[in-house]
Amino acid sequence: MKINPVIFLIGLFLIVACEKAEIEAPVVDNPVLSLSIPSGFPAMNSAVQANLPTKYGVALGERLFQDKRFSGNNTVSCSSCHIQSSAFADHEAQAIGINGRVGIRNTPPIQNMAFMKFYNWDGSKLNLESQAIVPIITHEELNSSILEVIGKLQNDPSYPLLFTNAFGDPSITADRIYRSLAQYQYTLISANSKYDRVRLHQNEVFTESESRGYTIFQLKCKSCHDTELFTDQSFRNVGFPLNISTQEAGRARVTGIAADYMSFRVPSLRNIAYTAPYGSFGQFATLMDVLDYFDNGVLEAENLDPILKANNNRIPLTQQEKLDIIAFMKTLSDSTFVGTTKL
Amino acid sequence: MKHLKQSVLLALSVLTLAACSKDDSNAVSNTVTLQFNNTYKDQTIVLGDAQSTAATVLTSQAGQTHRFSEIKYVVSNIRLVREDGTETPYNINNLDNGATVIDHSKPESLRYALRDIPSNRYQKIKFGLGVKSELNTIDQVRFPNFYAAAGANDTEMMWEWGAGYRFTKLEGFYGADNKEMSIHTGSTVQGPEGNYTQGVDAYRDITLTFPTTLNVASGSPTIFIRADFDKLLSGNANTITLSTGTGGTDNATPNIHTALEMVRFVDNLGGNGEADNSGMFSIQSIVE
Repeated sequence: MKINPVIFLIGLFLIVACEKAEIEAPVVDNPVLSLSIPSGFPAMNSAVQANLPTKYGVALGERLFQDKRFSGNNTVSCSSCHIQSSAFADHEAQAIGINGRVGIRNTPPIQNMAFMKFYNWDGSKLNLESQAIVPIITHEELNSSILEVIGKLQNDPSYPLLFTNAFGDPSITADRIYRSLAQYQYTLISANSKYDRVRLHQNEVFTESESRGYTIFQLKCKSCHDTELFTDQSFRNVGFPLNISTQEAGRARVTGIAADYMSFRVPSLRNIAYTAPYGSFGQFATLMDVLDYFDNGVLEAENLDPILKANNNRIPLTQQEKLDIIAFMKTLSDSTFVGTTKL
Repeated sequence: MKHLKQSVLLALSVLTLAACSKDDSNAVSNTVTLQFNNTYKDQTIVLGDAQSTAATVLTSQAGQTHRFSEIKYVVSNIRLVREDGTETPYNINNLDNGATVIDHSKPESLRYALRDIPSNRYQKIKFGLGVKSELNTIDQVRFPNFYAAAGANDTEMMWEWGAGYRFTKLEGFYGADNKEMSIHTGSTVQGPEGNYTQGVDAYRDITLTFPTTLNVASGSPTIFIRADFDKLLSGNANTITLSTGTGGTDNATPNIHTALEMVRFVDNLGGNGEADNSGMFSIQSIVE
C-alpha cells in the first residue's frame, strides 16, 4: 500500500496536536471529604466551597505542609512553626524561621480555619489559598520563592503520583500547591474538648472550679471570645504591651484606619492551654499572666476597646476567679486534635 | 507529488506563521525612551548617608531638613495618549515587559525604553506609580523577570506580608540629629477590583501632558520626566512633619511600613487620584 504523504503529514500534525489528550490519567477515586461541621459553629468561609477538600488533595497538602524544601535552604517547613502538639502553633514568643530569624509576631494556631473570615493576626488575608505565598517569600519565614519550591518538588519522584491523585495529572503548579495546602488546613477542625462533651451532654460534667470559671467567663470574657469558636473574629485594641517593630500597626497595617491601630483579631480560646506564650508577639508567658494584666489594668489608647474603656481599662478579677477561668479554659483542650489521644 | 508535498508544507508554514504573528499593518517600530530625573525642586538629588557632605539636603515646608540614602519606585501601566484621545498601551498587563523599578543609585535604571511605538502624534503620557491591583499579587510564575528584579537583595521591592510589591521605598535621615527616615508604600487591598473588602490602594495613575506634541515618526525621542521629591513632605495634598516614636501618628519610621500613615505620603508622591493626577511628576523636556 502506498501511503499518501500529504494525508500522512496532516495526520501527523493532528496526532502531535492531540498528543496531550491521549495520555490517559490513571483513574483514581478522589472523593470530596465531608467536613463535619461541629454543632454551633459559624458558617464556613466561602472560599471552602470553591476548594472543597478531597481525599488526595488533603493528603498532598499534609505532605507539602511538612516538606522542608519549602524553605530556601531546606531546613524548615510550615510544620516547623505550626506544630500539631501545640495546636499547630509553637512555644516561641515570636515565630522563628529560616536561620533562626525572628518574625514580628507570635505563630497563630491553625485550627477551625474553614470557619474563619480573616487570617493572620491583622486579618490581612481573607482566604487560605492566597495566604500560602506569604510565608514562602518572607525573609524571616521560609525565604524562598514559588518557582524555587516547584523546582525542588519536581526533583522528587514521589510527587507526580501525589499530584495526579489529587488533581488528575502530574503537573506541579503554584495554584495546586496553594489549593492542597488550604484543603489540608480546612480539615484541621477541633471540637472534641471536654467543654464540647459537657455542652453536648456526652456523659461528662464540669468540676466545681470549671463550672465557676464558665460562669465568670460568660460574664467577663464572652463579649469578645464569643461563639463556639471562642472568638467573635473582631479586631480590638486591648491595651497589651506594644510591639515597637516598624512593621507593626496591628489591623491598621492593612486597613490604614487609625481606629484599627494595634488592634488584633480576638484569638480563639480553643486549645489555648497548648499555645503559650500569649499576645500578638508573645508578651505573656502564662494564662495567669494574661489575666493578671487585665486585672491590673491595660495600656491606655485612644482606640482602646470600648468595653475596657467603660471598665476603667481593666477586667477586675479575684485570684480565685482567675484560677477558675483557667480551669475552664483548660476544658477547651482537644487532646485528640493535638495528637496526644488517638481516636 | 513532490510539488504537492512542498506546497502543503508551504501552506502549513504560512498558516503557522500567520497564527503566531501579532503584527498589525503598522510596520514602523520606534523606540521612545523615558528618562527619570529625581530632584529636589530642579536639582538632581545626590544620595548619601547621615555623614555624607555631598548628599542633597532638602528642607520641607514645615522646616524639617532631610536627605535620602535610597530612592526606589515602580513605574508600570504606561500609555501614550494620541491627539484624538485614544491610548497606545505599552505591555500594560505584562510586568515583565511593561514595568520597571527606578533605582536612583543605578543610572541605567533611570532610563526605560518603550519599543515598537507606532508612528503617531502623542499629547500625553500616562503611567502608574506602583502596580495596579489586578496585577499586584506576587506571581513569579507569570512574571519571573519583574519578580526577580523587584526581589533582588539590593532592591527589596517585595511587600511580603501583603503578597504584593512595594511601590516606593525611600530611606534616609531627617532633622539636625539625622534620625532615621524610612518610608515604604504598597497596597493592602483584598477582594474584587473596584469593590475591595478591605485595605488601602496605594497605586496612583499619573497623567502628564507634553509641552508640545510628541511626533513619533522616525528617530528615537526621549521624554525627560522629573520626580520632585520635595513633594514627599510638601505636597499638593499634605504638608507632613516627620516624627519618630511609637504612637499611631509617628510617621518617620514606625507605622510607615504599614498602611496607617502611608496614604498621606502616597497622595503627595502620586496625587490623590482626583484633582491631582501628577503628584511629584512633571515633564521636564522632550528631546526628539
